[in-house]
Amino acid sequence: MTFFKRFLVLFICGAVQVFFATYLLLELLGFGLAWHLMNHDIMFIPGILVFLGSGYLTFSYYFLSDEQSNNALYDEFNALRYYKLATAGYVINGMGIFVLYSMQDWSNWSFELANNMIYQIAAFAWLIFGVLLVWFALGDLRESRNG
Amino acid sequence: MGKSHEKLLNNLEELRKTAGLTQQELSESAEVSRKSMNAIENGVYVPSTVLALKIAETLDCKVESLFKLPKN
Repeated sequence: MTFFKRFLVLFICGAVQVFFATYLLLELLGFGLAWHLMNHDIMFIPGILVFLGSGYLTFSYYFLSDEQSNNALYDEFNALRYYKLATAGYVINGMGIFVLYSMQDWSNWSFELANNMIYQIAAFAWLIFGVLLVWFALGDLRESRNG
Repeated sequence: MGKSHEKLLNNLEELRKTAGLTQQELSESAEVSRKSMNAIENGVYVPSTVLALKIAETLDCKVESLFKLPKN
């Protein structure tokens, strides 16, 4: 495993997730998109990619990489980068949920609207997770170029 | 002292160059990424105790000559 390979795995997972989450969020917020996904089974693709990607990274850590590569890929500075991004994720999600709460039609509240709001929050969190994956991946790309 | 973190002055770049090592060589010896070594040298990152000791061991010096607390 190298920084560039990890960039590829995480970037593909993140970018696909950003695409699907953005699509879902725009649909749920009522934006009139000019096109629609006809086969909703493909909404599973980002989840499957993350599952396979994390599996590959774990397998690679224990069976494919040498100790020197693992030391570089998973050192304390990378851990700090991960924690900082996770913190940013919590903050952005918190603000996003606040905004989503604020824009609901509380005067005509119904179970349908409540259900829709839960989907909006889930789609937003999904989008932020995808953005953070891409963000982390770009750090790996920079390192692969500099290293 | 080179570029330093506000809470920790470091002399890493000078001592590394004196030892004739590149950032890559030092990072391999200390078992971290080159980026970590670069971040420490530029005062972006404060290393853990274990990492500071590994760097000192590689450069054959004391941790105190690598890192110092700023006065006030």
